[in-house]
Amino acid sequence: MRAGLILVVLAALGHAAHAYPQYQLSRDQTCTGCHVSPAGGGLLVENGFAVAESNTSFGGSSNFLHGAVEPPSWLQLGGDARLAAGSVDNGAMGGAAYPMQAEIYAAAGARGITVNVTGGLRSPQDGGSALHVLWSREHYLMWRQDPSSPFGMYVRAGRFMPVYGLRLAEHAIYTERYGGLPLFGEAYGAAVEYVAAGFELHATGFVHDPIATAVEHGDGGAVYVEARLGPHAAVGAEAKYSTRTEQTSTYGGLTGKLYLEGADLLFQAEAEIIHNALTATSANQLAGYLLASRPLADGWLLDVGVGHFTQDTAVAGLYRDSLDANLHWFATPHVELLATTRLELLDHGAGPTGGYALAQLHYRL
Amino acid sequence: MLGSLLGAACGTSPDDRPATLEVVSLAVLAPTCGTVACHSSTTNVEGYAFDTLDGARAALRRLVRAGAPEQSKLLEVITSRQMPPDAPMADQDVALIEQWIAGGAEGL
Repeated sequence: MRAGLILVVLAALGHAAHAYPQYQLSRDQTCTGCHVSPAGGGLLVENGFAVAESNTSFGGSSNFLHGAVEPPSWLQLGGDARLAAGSVDNGAMGGAAYPMQAEIYAAAGARGITVNVTGGLRSPQDGGSALHVLWSREHYLMWRQDPSSPFGMYVRAGRFMPVYGLRLAEHAIYTERYGGLPLFGEAYGAAVEYVAAGFELHATGFVHDPIATAVEHGDGGAVYVEARLGPHAAVGAEAKYSTRTEQTSTYGGLTGKLYLEGADLLFQAEAEIIHNALTATSANQLAGYLLASRPLADGWLLDVGVGHFTQDTAVAGLYRDSLDANLHWFATPHVELLATTRLELLDHGAGPTGGYALAQLHYRL
Repeated sequence: MLGSLLGAACGTSPDDRPATLEVVSLAVLAPTCGTVACHSSTTNVEGYAFDTLDGARAALRRLVRAGAPEQSKLLEVITSRQMPPDAPMADQDVALIEQWIAGGAEGL
């Protein structure tokens, strides 16, 4: 029974493809330097393809399907597939292998107006239709002020993840899982976003998905603003509000990024305060993460991160800390191997301990 | 002073959270068991969804025997470390669930 359970729940550690924020400030200033979306992740722009080609061990074409198919100029296509295997310790060790992601991205349009769709597969629903596995995580209409530049205004309307905080890829990170950016937390909404060399601002209003079952059950808004302090440092502020009948959650926090050029080392940090109000009681929470990233050689990248989550500031010992280490190998522009590990301590080691060690294969179409 | 601040931030008081269906469901089970790939409205693994109060109430009616923690499937899978499989549950949360069940599982 345990193996089956682990297969199912291990997928909670999985994630959809996102940007590699580890390259921000060190290689490119903004997500839009490499990606079509102002949130990062998914389809690449021309510079993104160039970065994908240069940051690998063996090189090669980074184009869609290795350049075998060339879509018309009004259409961009891409996709990601991920598989993972390893072991998880929740107090009792277990192992599993499982699919994480199989998605296609498309953006069609011209003159700065595009329809953007992410479609693919998700976990089946017990007792639900077989068609439940087919879904579209994101679909939105986007206008961008200057399609030839990473800078300018962006306006989006549709289903997407609000831009908020650091937006790191690993959803087991406390600032994501508990801090307002849960896996598949996309919602319907509208966003006005502005990206400039010195700052960026993202403001989103959203409502929960009225059609399909979703992770975000509330309605609300999110704001993220980031100011760059020179070419290699940035500070940001974030806020999110989500309310539904049974719960209102308010998030606020700060981010910081510092790139040490001589050491080729990037630090990213995020700290959040969360207030969860239920109908009869409420709780304050704290979530924080510090990530250090350093390229080791052509195509290799090492991340080391520490995290903290206080589940309820009023209760003694109700917190957990994590130590993460991730080793990425970008063998080619299309193939990435990732070893990701975590040690987790509850109540500073006085409570149970856990962790995981997973190997992940990522293929980008 | 910094130590005092960190100590306060991490909590220094005994657990006086009310042992209610609302707290057990939304403050404990939703963030640990109700994630999207597990017992959520989206995936509904084993027919359980803990990410909403209504879903949790329906699931807990199948997993809890009011007044009898030792006969409740929920506590059995948690204390045996079958659940949650991706990360340990805090001892305080386990104790709160046990207290709620022992007290008659108010709200079910």
